[in-house]
Amino acid sequence: MAELWRRVRRERQIWLLCIPMIAWVLTFSYYPMYGLFISFQNYVPGHSMFSHWIGFDNFVRFFNEPDCLQIIRNTLVISGLNLVIGFPAPIVLALLLNELRGRVFKRTIQSLSYIPYFISWVVVANILITLLGSDGVLNDILMKLGLIHEPIEFLMNGNYFWGILVTSNVWKDMGFSAIIYLSAIAGIDKELYEAGKVDGLGRFGLIRHITLPGIRSTAVLLLILAIGGILNAGFEQQLLIGNPLTQDHYEVIDTYVYRFGVQLGNYSYGTAVGLMKSVMGLVLVILANRLSKRYMQSSIF
Amino acid sequence: MVETSSSMQSSLASRLADIAIIIVLVLLGFVVIYPFINLLALSFNDGKDAARGGIYFFPRKLSFSAYGMLFENKKLLKGLSWSVLRVIVGTCTCLFMTGLLSYIISIRTFSGRKFMRILFFMTMYFSGGLIPTYILMNQLHLTNTFQVYWIPGLFNAYFMLLMASYISDLPEALFESARIDGAGELRIYWRIVIPVAMPVFAAVSIYAAVGHWNSWFDVILYNFNGKFDTLQVYLRRLLLEVEATQQIRDQQLLMRKFQDLSPLTLRAATTIVVTVPILCVYPFLQKYFIGGITLGSVKG
Repeated sequence: MAELWRRVRRERQIWLLCIPMIAWVLTFSYYPMYGLFISFQNYVPGHSMFSHWIGFDNFVRFFNEPDCLQIIRNTLVISGLNLVIGFPAPIVLALLLNELRGRVFKRTIQSLSYIPYFISWVVVANILITLLGSDGVLNDILMKLGLIHEPIEFLMNGNYFWGILVTSNVWKDMGFSAIIYLSAIAGIDKELYEAGKVDGLGRFGLIRHITLPGIRSTAVLLLILAIGGILNAGFEQQLLIGNPLTQDHYEVIDTYVYRFGVQLGNYSYGTAVGLMKSVMGLVLVILANRLSKRYMQSSIF
Repeated sequence: MVETSSSMQSSLASRLADIAIIIVLVLLGFVVIYPFINLLALSFNDGKDAARGGIYFFPRKLSFSAYGMLFENKKLLKGLSWSVLRVIVGTCTCLFMTGLLSYIISIRTFSGRKFMRILFFMTMYFSGGLIPTYILMNQLHLTNTFQVYWIPGLFNAYFMLLMASYISDLPEALFESARIDGAGELRIYWRIVIPVAMPVFAAVSIYAAVGHWNSWFDVILYNFNGKFDTLQVYLRRLLLEVEATQQIRDQQLLMRKFQDLSPLTLRAATTIVVTVPILCVYPFLQKYFIGGITLGSVKG
């Protein structure tokens, strides 16, 4: 009896601690989800939510916007490039690092490689402006080599934008993602390598037949997640590296939502576009997962 | 005979491969680190001289005026203090609250354990997105306050998973004996859980602190009146060259004092000032953080 009483008291104490936590999560996480309803309305700040229901008008409106195709193109091209270059890059880095014999050298390179991950996009944008500006190092070298005769304003020209953005994405994330692959490689049974050597496999053979299969499930997992995020083409980096001159090339769905929804005050419309993006992202993850289950025999759920 | 020569050949090929790999990786390391070297060199160079270009690794005409200017600049110092305050308040409160939540969902006898876990876990996958959250902050009058830097970040589901997986692995007897002695849950959390789970608290605190230090968008989104501008926002303003020259022009006194200044060197110096704290915590980052993500990937 005393035991039970103590337990009830204990539970009450814990529930008491839980109350503010539940209040917080309902307010800051669940209430905004409920706020997604405004995408079916014509919401005016200050007025009550649920005033003017307009059905799917906001969703249809996006596809009638003149910029629509350009925004979808930018989103898909940028994240497509991020995927094609950014997905294999950390695998290659991890494989190269794994081939190194000198421990100190390996550690040094690895430590250097993920410094950029911890640097803010503001700093990255600053670096780009300094290095690629008309008085920056890149123009300086190109001119000295005689490849160009006057400085190129790389950041002012939309044609360079995708390349610059994707390169900086890869520069920033490659080292960090490589950690995950390196830890997967470290988990491979060492005896497999011994057996492989006995069977006469060379260095490339060992990589092909042992290391790569060993990190396959990690790679598939990251690939599925990357495909699910294909509509997340970046946000801060676009706002920070892009400028009005390159807008034709940098505007992606997320920056569009920010510009139209927040800055111009089209709350309902912006929310609708954002919601559409999230739903498509969810569908893509599920599809990618199905495909990988069927063809690669591994999946995340 | 044939066998020896072929093995010699393969060892030669292997050697060459080793050298190629080392060259590729050294180049890569260079590409990663060079921008910082260049900025460092620029920041210590005379402004007018720097505008001529050609500074690669070392300053050509040494000058400390960019830093001198920065540290006499009230706006920058204010930005710096908001940033530091944000990192400290944001990290401590998030750690304390998310840690408490993680402890609660690790108490095996607690009936609401699963409910709480799922309630927070769901937030990793579903969210209202940018605009509903923005409207909420407006409705709560959190915009243009310092509070917006830490209240929305009090709980983090990802940190919760990391911390709970660590705390659940601790022996239950540790808490049970304290409970029998009549200690309250908060007391157990403060006196036992935090000290014992220090490694995971350290890892998460570094995650959180770096995030707070680096964040930029939430500042311009929520604190648009500029009163609580952090260092990142200030740096961004400097990026727009006009602002930089204006800053210099505005301060006639400084102008006379630091004649050898240019937006280029000023920008470089600010970038270095913003980056150095990250590099200072880098060794700790490596020690705890890397352990943290591999922990997460195994147990997450």
